Order: sequence, then structure tokens, then C-alpha cells
Amino acid sequence: MTLQNISFMEKPSKQILLGNEAIALGAIAAGARLVAGYPGTPSTEVLQTVAARNTDGAIHVEWSTNEKAALEVAAGAAWSGARAMAVMKQVGLNVAADPLMSLVYLGVRGGLVIVVADDPGPISSQTEQDTRFFAAFANAPALDPSCPEEAYAMALQAFDLSERYGLPVILRPTTKVCHASAAVDLSAERRPFAPGRFERSARWVIFPPLSYRRHGEIKAQQAQIGEEFSVSEFNRLEGDGPLGIAAGGVTYAILRDALMARSGAADWPAALAASALSVLKVGAVFPPPKALYRRFLSRARRVLVLEELAPVIEEQLLALKGAENLTAVVAGKLSGFVAPNGELLLEQVARYAETFLSPPPVTAAATAPEPPVAVTAPEPEPAPVWPRRSPVLCAGCPHRASFYAVKKATRGQRAVFCGDIGCYTLGNAAPLDMTDTCLCMGAGLTVAQGVKTADPQALVFAFIGDGTFFASGMTGLLNAAHNRADINIMILDNSTTAMTGHQSHPGLGRTVMGEETVKIDAAAVARALGAGFVERADPFDLPAAMDAARRAASHPGLSVVIFTAPCSGLFRPTQLCRAEKCSGCMLCVREIGCPALRIAAGVVEVNAALCHGCGLCARVCPSGRLRLEARA
Amino acid sequence: MDILIAGVGGQGTILVSKILAGAALLAGGRVRTGETIGMSQRGGCVVSHVRTGPVSSPYIPPGGADLLLALELCEGARHLPRLKTGGAAVVSTARLEPVTAALGQEAYEEKAMRAYIAARPRARFIPAGETARALGSEKAANIVLLGAAFAWGLLTMDEESLLASLAQNTPPAFAALNRAAWRAGAEAARNAADDREVTG
Repeated sequence: MTLQNISFMEKPSKQILLGNEAIALGAIAAGARLVAGYPGTPSTEVLQTVAARNTDGAIHVEWSTNEKAALEVAAGAAWSGARAMAVMKQVGLNVAADPLMSLVYLGVRGGLVIVVADDPGPISSQTEQDTRFFAAFANAPALDPSCPEEAYAMALQAFDLSERYGLPVILRPTTKVCHASAAVDLSAERRPFAPGRFERSARWVIFPPLSYRRHGEIKAQQAQIGEEFSVSEFNRLEGDGPLGIAAGGVTYAILRDALMARSGAADWPAALAASALSVLKVGAVFPPPKALYRRFLSRARRVLVLEELAPVIEEQLLALKGAENLTAVVAGKLSGFVAPNGELLLEQVARYAETFLSPPPVTAAATAPEPPVAVTAPEPEPAPVWPRRSPVLCAGCPHRASFYAVKKATRGQRAVFCGDIGCYTLGNAAPLDMTDTCLCMGAGLTVAQGVKTADPQALVFAFIGDGTFFASGMTGLLNAAHNRADINIMILDNSTTAMTGHQSHPGLGRTVMGEETVKIDAAAVARALGAGFVERADPFDLPAAMDAARRAASHPGLSVVIFTAPCSGLFRPTQLCRAEKCSGCMLCVREIGCPALRIAAGVVEVNAALCHGCGLCARVCPSGRLRLEARA
Repeated sequence: MDILIAGVGGQGTILVSKILAGAALLAGGRVRTGETIGMSQRGGCVVSHVRTGPVSSPYIPPGGADLLLALELCEGARHLPRLKTGGAAVVSTARLEPVTAALGQEAYEEKAMRAYIAARPRARFIPAGETARALGSEKAANIVLLGAAFAWGLLTMDEESLLASLAQNTPPAFAALNRAAWRAGAEAARNAADDREVTG
């Protein structure tokens, strides 16, 4: 099932799957009884696929309120003997760090796999943090797939590994595996559920003496797991050349293509033979497969390590080299040979490999220590510069109307707008320019409190979506109430978790499986948490929305406005805007920046295919030339 | 064969990629794809990579694509350097101006884009958006483009596999529209014969 074993002709049991879909189907085949997660790119499709394929409803699938809740729910199931999986993105693991650190000490009975998707680049994330580091910090074994096929195999095996060692196992795909697709063989039989029964035991209750004992046991286990990883199908030493390249995760797949292109060989074995290299593929990365690393470092006298994000494999190799006095020279991120940030794309991998493999010039300098290569990305081909196209709030997005209402209501006043994580982070773009801070999920509310304390003259607003409010905003609101903060919290309630593709959350009254459930009212929650001023407003009723923002601002103390209008992605438009005899004042374009508005021959035109008929531009137009009409 | 599909978030590049990958599998070949999923889907630049043959990784290097399918003019120009020397391109003449262009911060220079693309001898234009709109939905522009690329002989998959994959990857409610879009794209391409431009 690894790259090496892909047969040339695809069999009918194969399906084209995204890496995330492959992980989901691997978990189902492995007999996962419970899957809990929180949406976040690039991890979201894992849980969605489990839910979509859970046609008999046998698996408990849930979008938890946040990642901490997801991991704790999964731990409870695993302690009761069931196989369970928790799914999140890398910054989500920060939220779940508290349960993770202790959970490894307590261990599990049923297999527990934590899927944490990392995002080199980063493409859709706040940081370029590396979950392999987190796994080592937490003492949890970690697997790092190179392709969707291997992601499927790893998902299957991770549950066995977890049960054999009684430890949660982290499966860490990266974006180029999560969102890549390949034909995956799905012929594995689905394993029946293990019977769930919670057995009372002191092992599930963390106390300092237990932690002391378990710490020792966990470290002893790591040597064993490392031995197992040295012969794992996910780790491999190929070729026997005197120069070595180690590659982790998807970088191994990219390295194969780079070396094939370099040698002009038709397949990987021929490319490997032509390269005179030793290639170390690392997929089971923590604890380190020391025996395999030892063979690699004794075979190759000079070694290049290619891995995205942190230099995890590089540090493991250097630690072994130091501990055992091995002589191989290791180049990578720590040596300055490889850039510390960004993705490793095929062109970069090819360039690093080329530099590494090129024979050094026969001069005195050849004996000097290797100079570091510049750490900048390779120069792109010179091409004309075309207009940038950054993501924007969609046409018809209610967030645009909410931001605009608050912007107009506070015009002329010194106001600070603290933002949060979601589609509405895009409120930072021109011309709205309504996001002054953004730190992490839920932080807008609490950052606003700090800003207001230090800068009492400023009018301070915090914007947070309904999904993020339930995930991470409630404690911040409670904090504001308890500590008498005079801030204005604008909850942008679009009745969905929009940015990640419309997942359920506690405010919607439906679970991920479509079952009806209690619908939590954000206004009632805000009142219960101590907010005295709580109002709802329709952001598309501009005067009323502005009025609500003004009253919130003038209300002494904590105030909450819930701007309520559904995400434009949730319904088909029945209306559209049309410009007639536009005067060309451009006020609509300058004020709201809707992607459906464009300028042709000095006047505004509405792109009917994009327009969602929200009517915001019509309300802004000073001469009534933009009109809302029924769609044909 | 390496096919790059470029467009603006919301135009349906991922669907084109799925249809091509499914067709390659049905035709008995090996295939990998790489997608843009995330924040860019909100009106940003999106690209999908489809790679057939003995490759291990999912993303096409710059200057490596055999075929560029662009659902929008500016995105066609932006991604043209990803094409091999001698590679083919099918570019929709649909214009989607970024908000920064309407704000006057940047210029959307249609003529310059067209000229830049047309400098490639194997580049062709098609009014996929208008053709799809005439059939009832601009959303089907991606299928129009695909039908044209096939009719121009630029896809290695056979028609039966492509149409089967189209049916597998789209809801039955849109089957008639999608077949009509495919046919309209193919017809426009055939009528254009050797012309570089299909006029709308």
C-alpha cells in the first residue's frame, strides 16, 4: 500500500480519494466507533467523510464545540474499550494540548488516533508549527504519510499501534496529502466494533505518583516503538550510495519525482540506481527509528535532510550522530542549507538535491566547511505582473453589511476593531478595513478587553462569528462581564461555520449526522454570561444595524449585538441588483467592495452571475440608480 | 500528462479535476491530483493539478504542465508560465475582476492578458461563460471548457470515460445541463476549426 507497491494497473476496488477521505475510510475499516473533531483547513474533510459514509449511523460522529472537547470525548470512548478518533488542524491541537499532555500519561485501552493536519506554507493557517514536535513533546507516537494511499494504510495501522502500546497515536498528514487525491485500494474488510465497557481502575485517574511511574514507562516504551519503526513498512532505506537524502512525509514523494526528472529515468528504481544515493524515507517518525537511522548514517558520509516545517528528522539524526560519535555530515534546516519556512515544492526539492549532489569544485575551498546556501525561495521566471486576487467576502455576505454598519456608526470616532478567526477575518481587506487585530480562535473578545484597559479613550469593538463564539468565545465574554470591561462584542451570526464549508455548531439545532438537537441561542448565552446589553439586528437593515451599533457603543459597560442574517452560501438568491443610468460616483465600489460590482466605461455594472441580491449596494447608492429586482 | 486547471474560487476547478481523474482511472491509467481547498475558495486564485502516469507527487512544477485549462482570463495569464514550452492552453474569456481592480488599485488589462496568452502557439480562447449562460447557468462554464478541450484533441482520456466520470461526479439533477454544456463546448471547438478564437 506504500508508494513502492502501487500496481501499474488500477484495480476496480480502487477509488479516487483525497488524503483526508482516505484517512476517514481507513478509520472506518479499522472499526472506529467514535469520531469527534473540530473543522479547520486542511483537516475538515476527514470527519465530513466519516459522516457521509456512516450510512447506517453505527459510528458516533460529532463536530465537537472545540478540539479540546473532541479529544476528551474520544479519550472517554477509548478508555471504555472502543476505537476512537479525534480530528483537528495543527493550531487546533494547541486548544487540545491540555488533554493531550495528560492523556499520554494515562494511556488508552481502545485504539485512539488523533489526526492533526499540518499546513506548510502556511496556506490557510496562523502558524507553521509542526505537530511532529508536539508529538515528541507529548510522548505520543507519530505517523506522517507521503501520499493518500499511505494515509489510508497508516489510519488502519495507527489503531493497532495505539492498542498494542496503550498510547494515543498521532497521524499527521500535511496539506499536500490532505488535499491531494490518488486511487486508493479499499479492499480491507471492516473490523467489527470492540464491545465498549468502562472498567473502573486507578489508571484512569491522574495523580502525581502515577505520573511519575508512567513517565518512566512511557520512555521505556519509546525505545521499543522506535525498534518497531525501524522495520515499519512506512520507513525505508533505499539505494546504497555514499551520499544520502532523508525525506519525511510528502517530501519523499516529491523527492522521487525530482530525482526521476534529474536522471531522466522512466521509474523510481531506475532513478535511484542512476543517482548513486542512499534515500531514507521516514513516515513513522516518532519515536525515531534509531536502528534504521544508524544504518543510514553509516552508509552515507554526507546527508541532506528534506522535510517541511520543523527540522524534526534532522534533529533526530544529529542527536544519534552525537550520542554515537558517527561521522556523517548532516545538511538541512539547522545547517542553513534548507529554508526554515514555507513549502518544499518540487522545484525547491530539485534545487536542493542538485546543489547537494553537484560535485564540489576542486579547489582549496572544497575542503572548507560547506557554505550555507541562501535560504530564500528560488527566483520565479520573469512574467508580467497581473492583478493580485486575494480572497474576499462573497457577494451577498452578511458580514460585509455588519462591518459596514459598524464602520458608518463609528465614523469620526477613534475605534479599534478586534477580529477573530473565520470568513470575517476577510473584513480586513480594502475598502472595509475593519480588522485591526487577529490572534487565534476567540481572542478578539479578550484582546479587546486588554486594549480597552490600556487605551480607555478608544471605542473598542470585538467581532466574532457564531461558530467561533461557541467554540472559544464564551469564556472571553464571561471574562468581560466579570471584570467590568467596557467593550462592544459584535457576534456575526450567519447560522453556519462558513469558512470551513458549512459545518454544524451548537447554535444550529442539528448535528453533523442531521439529527435534531437543542438549539442554543447566542443571545441567551450572552445574557447568562453577564452581558447587560444584548440586542439582535439585521445587518441588511442598514439604519437599524447602525443604530444597534451606536447604542451598544454608548451603553456603559459590556454590550453585545448579534447581527443575524444567513450566509449567502446557504440559500439561492431570489433577487439581484441592477445598475441603471449609473452616475459613476463609485461610492458603492469605494464603500463596500462587493466582488459583483465592476466598473465598465466609467460606470458601475453588476455581475449577475455573482450578485446574491443582498441589496447593500442599493442602500449605499446616493442616487437610487442601483435597484434590487426579482430574478428571472 | 500534467494538466493544470486554474480559476477563481467558486468557478469549479475542483470538479474539473475530479472529472479528469475519474476518467483517467476508468480508462485504466494512474492518476494523482492536488487541489486548492481553504480560504482561497472565497474568490481567490485556485488551481487544481491532475497528473497521469508514473508520478509520486501531486503538484506540477512551474513550466511542467502539458495543458492549462483556465476558467478565467486573468488566471489563464497568471498561470501560463506553468506551461511547458510547446504546451497547450484553453482559456475562457470570462473576466472576473478582483475587488482591487474596481477600487482602482490595480488594472485589469484584458488586451495585455489576451496578447500574452496568444503568444503561445497552442493557446486557444473560448467564451465558456457566455456559452454556459446561454444554456441557463454560468456555473456550467467549466464543463463547456472541458468539452472544448476534448474536441480539440487535448485530453488523453476517451470520451466514454470522460462522460461516465462527468455523470459520476455531478448530481443527477444537473445531468442534462452538463451534457448540453459538454456538447456546446465541443461544438464551439469543432466549428472554430483552426481558428485560435471561438467567437461568442
